[in-house]
Amino acid sequence: MAAFTERMAPVLLLWLAVCLSGAWAVDRGNFKTCDQSAFCKRQRALKPAESPYRALLETMELTNTKLTLQLINDNNKVRLLLELYRLQGNMTRVKINELKPLKPRYEVPDVLIREPPTEPLSLLSQDENGVVLSLGAESQRVIVSARPFRLDIMEGREVVMSLNSRGLLAFEHLRMRKDTQTEPEVEKNEEADPANQAETAKDEDKAVDGMWEETFKSHSDSKPNGPSAVSLDFSLPGVEHVYGIPEHADDLRLKTTDNGDPYRLYNLDVFQYELYNPMALYGAVPVMLAHNTHRTTGIFWLNAAETWVDISSNTAGKTVFGKMLDYVQGSSETPQTDVRWISESGIIDVFIMLGPTPTDVFAQYASLTGTQSFPPLASLGYHQCRWNYNDQEDVRSVDAGFDEHDIPYDFIWLDIEHTDGKRYFTWDPHKFATPKEMLQGLKDKKRKMVAIVDPHIKVDSNYKIHNEIRSRDFYVKNKDGGDYEGWCWPGNAGYPDFTRADMRDWWASMFAYDQYEGTMDNLHTWNDMNEPSVFNGPEVTMHKDAMHGDWEHRDVHNIYGLYVHRATAEGLIQRSGGTERPFVLTRAFFAGSQRYGAVWTGDNAAEWDHLKISIPMCLSLGLVGISFCGADVGGFFKSPGAELLVRWYQTGAYQPFFRAHAHMDTARREPWLFGPENTALIREAVRQRYTLLPYWYQLFYQAHRTGYPVMRPLWVEYPQDPATFAVDNEFLIGKDLLVHPVTEEGARGVTAFLPGKHEVWFDVHTFQKHNGAQNLYIPVTMSSIPVFQRGGSIIPRKLRVRRSSLCMEDDPYTLYVALNVQRTAEGELYIDDGHTFNYEKKEFIHRRLSFINNSLSSVNLAPDAQFTTASWIERIVILGASKPSKVIVKTTDGQESPVEFEFDASMSVLTLRKPGMNAGEDWTVTLQ
Amino acid sequence: MFFQIIFAAVFSGGLVDARKIRGISSSYKRFYRERKSFLCIDGSKIIPFEQVNDDYCDCDDGSDEPGTSACPRGRFYCTNLGFRPHYIPSSRVNDGICDCCDASDEYNSHAHCQNTCWNLGQKERAYVEVQMRTLDEGLRLKQQLIEEGVLLWREKQAQLRELQQVAEDLQIKLEEHRRRKHEADQLKEQTLKALAAGDSGLGRWNRTVSSVFQLLDSNGDGSITVDEVQAKVSFVHDEEQILSEEEAAALLGGGQRMDLIKFQHTLWEVLTKGDNVKIKDTPSSPVGEDPHLQAADKAAEWETTNLKKVEEAYDTVNMEISDLQKKLAIDYGTDWEFLFLNSQCYKLKVYEYTYTLCPFNQVLQKNTAGTEVSLGMQLNPILPL
Repeated sequence: MAAFTERMAPVLLLWLAVCLSGAWAVDRGNFKTCDQSAFCKRQRALKPAESPYRALLETMELTNTKLTLQLINDNNKVRLLLELYRLQGNMTRVKINELKPLKPRYEVPDVLIREPPTEPLSLLSQDENGVVLSLGAESQRVIVSARPFRLDIMEGREVVMSLNSRGLLAFEHLRMRKDTQTEPEVEKNEEADPANQAETAKDEDKAVDGMWEETFKSHSDSKPNGPSAVSLDFSLPGVEHVYGIPEHADDLRLKTTDNGDPYRLYNLDVFQYELYNPMALYGAVPVMLAHNTHRTTGIFWLNAAETWVDISSNTAGKTVFGKMLDYVQGSSETPQTDVRWISESGIIDVFIMLGPTPTDVFAQYASLTGTQSFPPLASLGYHQCRWNYNDQEDVRSVDAGFDEHDIPYDFIWLDIEHTDGKRYFTWDPHKFATPKEMLQGLKDKKRKMVAIVDPHIKVDSNYKIHNEIRSRDFYVKNKDGGDYEGWCWPGNAGYPDFTRADMRDWWASMFAYDQYEGTMDNLHTWNDMNEPSVFNGPEVTMHKDAMHGDWEHRDVHNIYGLYVHRATAEGLIQRSGGTERPFVLTRAFFAGSQRYGAVWTGDNAAEWDHLKISIPMCLSLGLVGISFCGADVGGFFKSPGAELLVRWYQTGAYQPFFRAHAHMDTARREPWLFGPENTALIREAVRQRYTLLPYWYQLFYQAHRTGYPVMRPLWVEYPQDPATFAVDNEFLIGKDLLVHPVTEEGARGVTAFLPGKHEVWFDVHTFQKHNGAQNLYIPVTMSSIPVFQRGGSIIPRKLRVRRSSLCMEDDPYTLYVALNVQRTAEGELYIDDGHTFNYEKKEFIHRRLSFINNSLSSVNLAPDAQFTTASWIERIVILGASKPSKVIVKTTDGQESPVEFEFDASMSVLTLRKPGMNAGEDWTVTLQ
Repeated sequence: MFFQIIFAAVFSGGLVDARKIRGISSSYKRFYRERKSFLCIDGSKIIPFEQVNDDYCDCDDGSDEPGTSACPRGRFYCTNLGFRPHYIPSSRVNDGICDCCDASDEYNSHAHCQNTCWNLGQKERAYVEVQMRTLDEGLRLKQQLIEEGVLLWREKQAQLRELQQVAEDLQIKLEEHRRRKHEADQLKEQTLKALAAGDSGLGRWNRTVSSVFQLLDSNGDGSITVDEVQAKVSFVHDEEQILSEEEAAALLGGGQRMDLIKFQHTLWEVLTKGDNVKIKDTPSSPVGEDPHLQAADKAAEWETTNLKKVEEAYDTVNMEISDLQKKLAIDYGTDWEFLFLNSQCYKLKVYEYTYTLCPFNQVLQKNTAGTEVSLGMQLNPILPL
């Protein structure tokens, strides 16, 4: 154990530090509260009041693409420039910057996939109090009020959203540092040149604690640019439900923050995070959705600095009865949610997505930041991970274990111990002496591997990667201009400046097969610790006064992880000559991270509450574009008991990213280590996942095309049913599968809400039919995974579950046709080669399957696409059917032939035996 | 038995399609006789015989598709002629991975599988031969170890018996010595008592004066002369220096000789009270112990030393016996075949560690830096063979 200790010294140090802190949970003292974050404290101290800002209407300019207007703060005379855009697809962009900042303020690049196309704004009316502009269709207008400044977006007579209606617009202008405390108050002068106005600023310039320097624990932030925070409030009349702004370990529906801290967005490596609170976690997507029965809207606050979001509501705390009383008495004000965003630096650049439906908002956000990358099919299978698989023999024997126990899997993972002393892009020369041999062994079984590559680079002059980064001067700099160094897994480490395009290009080139030795095409990558995690930094991350070129880390913090993820994904694409889709998992993320791969919810724990929270955490991510989400199955810290582990597999099998992972200090927990009964339960859960891979794949294709989430909260599909608005113990996959995992210890039953007044739902295991709009009690045993298929849907499955997804490539399909009350059903089937970008060259099959008038047909949805498949239709199972006298299949060539069938009258299930059509062709099956 | 299947395939082929018999072992062949219908082996369903191995799963038990991947829980029989036959899950039929060495599982896939059974069989046979040889050699070595073990065991047993005999003898001796010591102690005690009694009367006194007188009176003529004094008396501080005649004469009260009465009042006083002169070869006190007492004391001391020696010998022998018994109590295998391990140590290098395992003794881990950690004792290394 001695050398183990040696090797693990940094880890042990950390562990020791943690253990000394005494509690098995996050040490909250390591992370700032709003009060401890100077700008948050300053900004939050401002209370709703009349805004000091006034719009100078005489400065208004209206062009084809935008309206610009100056705002003035009557307290300090600093002028701001407002830009207002009407964007294509029913969005409004509001940008506010200083008119003449002392130096440029950071505007977040690389998140928008293009400069959003605009549509002309037209002036409807104007007077000295303000202007009214048309937003085009549906009588949508934006009203700019001058004194005080506010924006109201209207539809007809209804206010959809108001900005600065509570007067919380605050913009800390950049200023020269004045160290003299006794600064004479400069006389106000309305006529002064705006450039000098910063100099004439009033009392707010007086040194407030933390404006020019801030200390947290032993870390000091030198703040050479002084205060630079921005803040703005949004009012949402008629809204009681807001969602999004991940990542937080909290409910799906966001809570009001009046009695505590705001939700915090600041990518942090939080050790053993606590649940149900607004603390920051590994990733940040500054996007919030607001929803009521007739409209869904979204706010995208494009700012990568530390950000806090306050939420308050005039109905919060009222009981249902209280609300009813208000309604009956007619005395109630309209319910309203007020939101306030506060960021430490940068500018205000906010996109208001006006919906009006949830799918509209998804499409609108996707048009700004792009959609989920289309993952290789195999990555939708099961992933077996552990910190760590010790050596090649360990990998081989775990791989063999899956075959021995007949459990499919696609990827086995290697954590940091596989490297030569935590030098990424290398292999431990003893334990992984012949990596290609190992990879070939997996390839022979049609399986793959993921190896970790973290962004902290060991400072070691014998390490090629370090030497190259240093010689190219690619490291992030400290405030004094030297290379920034921090403590992480390898000990002393440098952090490459991933905000630089040339750095990212170089990083990507390191994944080439001749650079990253021992790799093959079935090796993919995992980026961990990219918040970035700095063990000895403030809040376990980088100092805010570290420098990325001209910008402070303060400005770019939340986007750093996205850049790491992006550079890695680009590397994997490049090594294949641009043909292969990459698979890269990241822990840190930002708006737009969906374009580069998968995310997971970080270092959770083997506890039932952590299993439960995996649902709202992934739902929240899906709402803001990141569909490929999962939680460590089994829980990372601590060892799960068999029941929890089984339940977690059953839940994970129905979540987008399905990976088991475990901390080094926990007992081994491969699926066969808990006795034959539990092995069988886990095997069954994983097999269910594999049968549904065609459906998952089709949903990811849809997510890639449209931005619709794969895993959806119920309200997204039932937006008019308030009963669905806060549900987060169950979820939909696409719109057709409802999953209510068992997440309670010792559960004997669960109560699932089946939505939709006119819907019917079929238990996918028993085919029993249930009506929608009811709470259904379902007795459960250890083998139960309550899943329902919506009447009116067709779901393709592959029932021949094999060793890995690739082994199932040419297998035939079974179509599950669940009829609704109108006896119709519809679904899709998407097929391509599963791993290349050739689908972009129209090499795929995309078909619409529809059942209407007793006839099921397959119609080409992409007539210009070309692909051939060996897969055929081996079985069609029609749920809620009646018995036909005869079934005829008709194929493209006009041939008709009878199909054998079986009918189960007790469950009304009709099974068509071996109709045999090729899955890529047109056909019709008629029941007579 | 494999030939039967081949025979069936080739010669019954006219009646039975090759696909029908795919994936079946000879013992199951009887379920798949060509008839109009097929009864699922679990009896759950009857289907037309054409539906056997037609790539659609009809039977819940998978028995209608022994040769395809259609049934989720089916199994496929690899005949593997020339090697060992075995079952694989149906899901491995035509999955593009060669599982059966006769390539029979990939009859309709992209995989190009070679029939490797003969080679594997050869290898297996060669391997088995080597194994057999190894086993024979092992058994031979084992027999040798057993013989050695038995010999060693007997030797140790004999040694034990011998030691036990020695212990018994020592026990007797020990008792004898204890008795003798006891007697000597008693004698010494009695002498002391007698002396204590004599101290209070003249008898002891007179005897003492006269005995010293006799000691000095070398020629026994009843008087002490200068010569006699010079021969027997010396200075306390310098034994070597002979007294001069004048000094000797002074001790005799200025005369040339002295009788007992005079001695008692002159020289005796000097010898007993003064600290200038003494009788040669005696401690500074010319009087010393009573010779009887001295003899008794010496005898007691002698016996104590003897007893201690015997006791020590007895303890040593007993320790040896218990050590030997402990060793003999360990399970060295039914035929003492592991006895030889007792004195052995083995080293293994794993990366930066060197492990030292001494069977029936301790296990050590040493790293390259030289730090040694005990991993405990290994008292029973015997694994079932």
